[in-house]
Amino acid sequence: MNVGTAHSEVNPNTRVMNSRGIWLSYVLAIGLLHVVLLSIPFGMYIFLHTVKGTPFETPDQGKARLLTHWEQMDYGVQFTASRKFLTITPIVLYFLTSFYTKYDQIHFVLNTVSLMSVLIPKLPQLHGVRIFGINKY
Amino acid sequence: MANPGGGAVCNGNLHNHKKQSNGSQSGNCRKNGIIKEDQQNGKPHCYKQIVESFEEPPLHVMVFTYLGYGIGTLFGHFRDFLRKCGIEKCNTAIEREKQRDFVPLYQDFENFYTRNLYMRIRDNWNRPICSAPGPQFDIMERVSDDYNWTFRFTGRTIKDVINMGSYNFLGLAARYDESMRTIKEVLEVYGTGVSSTRQEMGTLDKHKELEDLVAKFLNVEAAMVFGMGFATNSMNIPALVGKGCLILSDELNHASLVLGARLSGATIRVFKHNNSQNLEMLLKDAVIYGQPRTHRAWKKILILVEGIYSMEGSILHLPQIVALKNKYKAYLYIDEAHSIGAVGPTGRGVVDFFGMDPREIDVLMGTFTKSFGAAGGYIAGRKDLVDYLRANSHSAAYATSMSPPISEKIITSIKFLMGDDGSTQGLQRIQQLAKNTRYFRKKLSEMGFIVYGNEKSPVVPVLLYMPGKVAAFARSLLQKKIGVVVVGFPATPLAEARARFCISAAHTRKNLNTVLEALDEIGDLLQLKYSRHRKSMRREPYEETSFELDD
Repeated sequence: MNVGTAHSEVNPNTRVMNSRGIWLSYVLAIGLLHVVLLSIPFGMYIFLHTVKGTPFETPDQGKARLLTHWEQMDYGVQFTASRKFLTITPIVLYFLTSFYTKYDQIHFVLNTVSLMSVLIPKLPQLHGVRIFGINKY
Repeated sequence: MANPGGGAVCNGNLHNHKKQSNGSQSGNCRKNGIIKEDQQNGKPHCYKQIVESFEEPPLHVMVFTYLGYGIGTLFGHFRDFLRKCGIEKCNTAIEREKQRDFVPLYQDFENFYTRNLYMRIRDNWNRPICSAPGPQFDIMERVSDDYNWTFRFTGRTIKDVINMGSYNFLGLAARYDESMRTIKEVLEVYGTGVSSTRQEMGTLDKHKELEDLVAKFLNVEAAMVFGMGFATNSMNIPALVGKGCLILSDELNHASLVLGARLSGATIRVFKHNNSQNLEMLLKDAVIYGQPRTHRAWKKILILVEGIYSMEGSILHLPQIVALKNKYKAYLYIDEAHSIGAVGPTGRGVVDFFGMDPREIDVLMGTFTKSFGAAGGYIAGRKDLVDYLRANSHSAAYATSMSPPISEKIITSIKFLMGDDGSTQGLQRIQQLAKNTRYFRKKLSEMGFIVYGNEKSPVVPVLLYMPGKVAAFARSLLQKKIGVVVVGFPATPLAEARARFCISAAHTRKNLNTVLEALDEIGDLLQLKYSRHRKSMRREPYEETSFELDD
């Protein structure tokens, strides 16, 4: 029962990334912050793959409390449009940063590490996996 | 009144009364449940033209809305960090020192939104009022010294605030006057409490009188009333369907319908809002494939819809849904909480609005809270259905029945609406409501606001989108002495925060003009006029689509 809501969506967090205009906002926000600092993949990693649960109470009896936002998207269905979009964006960012830093060696290592750290949790094989029990509860 | 030959719109009035008074003789011949053309006048059966709009805003508005939430979230995390460090005072409930090592009762993050976004603007909700919720009311003035964490009443009241938020469609929720004399008498004779359930000692003669009157009003065989509107849905749907049945429920159904559906144990499938193609696809699948693994036929298929959806202002597409239900042999349950008394030429709800026969709907449910100025709900339909509910409804067995003065209020209201007291005031109020609705909606769309819903629905949602504007809108309107209800995420989808206006028949033209002027000013100040379909101020010829109301 969704108290005080006007829709029957149990967890609105799953539909956030499908809302109209959010991809554009995401690109703009990344573009803006990209100009400011180049550590955006780290920021995205924290928000998508570290923070668990929802910022509001949901009537699903806490099923989403142990899931990160990435895992909650579209109720766990893999390869939806939003997931593909969010996978491709770090890759594009990677190409851009490699180009800007003129393929410098140290930057290359840092960029590749950050790209891998963002891409690997998005693999469907790692849905719900917590390595070494980190971030389990 | 003139019926344009083969035109798109058919006047519901005269046609209606004929159908209702003659009852069985209606000239419709049914073949496989599909109604063939009405042979009465040789004219085709014409459905009311449905005009509704759900305009999308320009893309930049959505982007700014998400950025607004994003910045709010970032600041929220920052403030949480400060609270954790101890730099900022923590006003929420925290675990006791002794129990710090225990497993936490609540997850901090789940209250993130409440703590960091809702708290900042929560002075716009739960405002206590201290008068009857008529077209104008009095609000208790309250201030906050610590940014809305606690409130303090100053002792003053803000008088004569124009009420655009109460569901007082016909203006029947008013202070005591001589026309309510019978209610006083009933109070003197019966008292206030019933102290029993319907099945034990709680059935009064007032209930019987009320139920007969409701059945007469809705033109059905029988009706049963319950003490609480929400409980009518949540307690009766489990009595009607159970395991092995299928419920097809609209996306935007009210929490009471969702709760009733979940309590029943039936399989629930959701179809897109008011979308009969989607519903047809689900019905086809259900009939062809049956239950999930065994592929047995479903025991029952029940379609749950509402007459008017209160957050969208849309009116149900009843003719299409009834056609589908007849074709696929499903049952239909309509929750007319917001539409009974508010739409239709005689105020009999969405069935009257479309000029259809109430016997085509299996279960008609409604509440008395909105248009009748009372409390409680009813379920109406065929006599055997209502008799079954009298025996098997959870509400009849466990819940206290309706209080006698409230029953009397509803009896008075229904008699007023039907014109039984000899005057036409009831009908005048219904027409006044329709006039007010049309005027208000027309003016709003002319000004350039995005307004959702059917053009005849008295619930008018005006879209605000950005969370900051939601707060600014409500506060500035209160300063101008207008009270509105605003809603944001998570009650609505993320980017569709809105203000919901409820028009009343008791609003005078002057009230509405005051509100419209204030909206015009605030709309310019807050840049809320997003609509790209501004109608011209000039009235186009042949714009009138219905001739029953004179403007």
